Amino acid sequence: MSALRNDRHQDIPEEPPPFGGTWPRLYAAVLAFLAALILLFRAFQWAFAP
Amino acid sequence: MRPADWYVLVGAIVFVVVYGMWRSRGSGTVNKYLLAGKTMPWYAMALSIMATQASAITFISTPGQSYVDGMRFVQFYFGLPLAMVILSVTAVPIFHRARVYTAYEYLEQRFNAKTRALVSGIFLLQRGLAIGIALCAPAIVLSVILGWPEHITILLIGLVAVLYTSLRGVKGVMWTQFPYMFIMTLGLLVALGTALWRLPQGMGLADAVTVAGAAGRVNPVVFHFNWNDRYNFWSGLVGGMFLALAYFGCDQSQVQRYLTGKSIAQSRLSLLFNGVAKIPMQFFILLIGVVVFAFYTFEKPPILFKSNDLQRIQTSAAEYAPIAQRYDAAFERRKKAARQVVAARRQGDGQARAQSAAAYRQAQRDLEDARGAAIRLAAKPGPGNDSNNAFLTFVNHYFPAGLASKITGVGFNDTNYVFLSFVIRYLPAGVVGLMLAMIFGAAMVSISSEMNSLATVTIIDLYQRHVRRQASDGHYLAAARVATLFWGAYAVVAAGLAKNLGSLIETVNLVGSLFYGGLLGVFVLAFFFKRVAGNAAFAGVIAGEAAIFAAAIFTNISFLWYNVIGCVVVVSTALVLSPIESNQGARRQS
Repeated sequence: MSALRNDRHQDIPEEPPPFGGTWPRLYAAVLAFLAALILLFRAFQWAFAP
Repeated sequence: MRPADWYVLVGAIVFVVVYGMWRSRGSGTVNKYLLAGKTMPWYAMALSIMATQASAITFISTPGQSYVDGMRFVQFYFGLPLAMVILSVTAVPIFHRARVYTAYEYLEQRFNAKTRALVSGIFLLQRGLAIGIALCAPAIVLSVILGWPEHITILLIGLVAVLYTSLRGVKGVMWTQFPYMFIMTLGLLVALGTALWRLPQGMGLADAVTVAGAAGRVNPVVFHFNWNDRYNFWSGLVGGMFLALAYFGCDQSQVQRYLTGKSIAQSRLSLLFNGVAKIPMQFFILLIGVVVFAFYTFEKPPILFKSNDLQRIQTSAAEYAPIAQRYDAAFERRKKAARQVVAARRQGDGQARAQSAAAYRQAQRDLEDARGAAIRLAAKPGPGNDSNNAFLTFVNHYFPAGLASKITGVGFNDTNYVFLSFVIRYLPAGVVGLMLAMIFGAAMVSISSEMNSLATVTIIDLYQRHVRRQASDGHYLAAARVATLFWGAYAVVAAGLAKNLGSLIETVNLVGSLFYGGLLGVFVLAFFFKRVAGNAAFAGVIAGEAAIFAAAIFTNISFLWYNVIGCVVVVSTALVLSPIESNQGARRQS
């Protein structure tokens, strides 16, 4: 085998995130942040609309 | 350029490069050179991912985009957080567990060698086109400010980036990007602060946004749906998500960033950080453009921001004088109406605000009409019009008209010069140097990522797979360095050809969208459709790319939708062909 080859498909264990508890909760937080940003932008636009 | 600007510019660039070289000592094996030995922490990967995407184009073109078209460009990024979550769930663990150097290596594990070769080729073509545009933008800056020829400035930036990328590999690239992101953040804050400082006495951010809002420039969320509209909520959320999935999930220049992670968790965190930080950053840059717009409401902007074209029409076109008169008159009327808009807002007088805003918008339309006339004058073919270079002639001659106009931008476009013009004319000594450091740094760190990924795919997916399968680690390391040098030279040549394209940030996204749908489709097949085999996937990619080019040539559908079209066609074609391939396989076995 070439020097570049590694052992394929080794099982790498899942680690929990360092904050947020679980990964699904962290994902939900990212999506909630997106929704909040869009609402804020809309409010910003409304406040300065002609 | 004043001495203080030179000190800041040279000091910042030297600091970034020296820090990156120092932190990346010991890149003496292929694994370390291409994957940093899988030792990178999440915060370094996160900043590297952002720096790779935030090329110099972001800082040159985006404020200009906001100036001419408002803040709606930010919607382009609405799908990005969704994509980051999807990739954290799917691509990150799959690539980590497959222990690959490139995303395309995984395709051979999953499908076959020819699908890997096809997709690697598409990546090299697409990224190879984009790297020229990424290098071209900052070269324009240097050229404008220093008065040096563009080919010299292209060479200068290219050489610095090639130097540390070829010596230190991915580790050098990423640790150079780390301090650069802090310089960039400082630069953005200083840019906004000084733009506000240059507003007329007594005016602040709220007044600036009011003025820009009255001209329709404060429009970050547009829910109105239109297939042909580049930037609305729906194209950003859906088309932008597909583009981000393709860019971060299938483009080696980004995949390589998070493949350097110590663990799946570290790589996921780096992507999620990008999902959170990217939209506010873009909003902030667009806000700078809005403030520049407000500034130019009270200080007369040049009718054209490309100074050489302005000089050309001033001296050689008889039609220019009446256009300039119209422009000056409209500017004075707009300025007066803008002061009334601000006064009415402060007094809370809604009726006066509506009346003054109507007068302001009328003056704005007149100003834009006069500017449009000047643009048409500048776009006329003739001696001195540098839009008539060999590259544009080639594209316009050999590409179908629908596609050529999208690649080159229709006619004259000075969006990329709006912010530059403001920086050069109005920012104080030292701050100009910081802005230039931010733009040069962005160019360096972004093209170094691209060179590094192009070299990786060249060596891993082509050279090692098809040319020299058995060789020592030292041989492949040397080959990777040579490949980096080759792609650096290629970038320099491509940048020289790309300099007259339209809004560079739109062009780079358009070029990406021509190919990303096909790439995304094949990875969707690989991750989610286990029964689809290699030949069906290969045919799907071909069909997907054909569909994208057909959409680009024959329709006016906005380019963000190409990603969706390509992905859907790849998946559906492969699903239709898959049973045929399975039957043939079964027959061969029996």
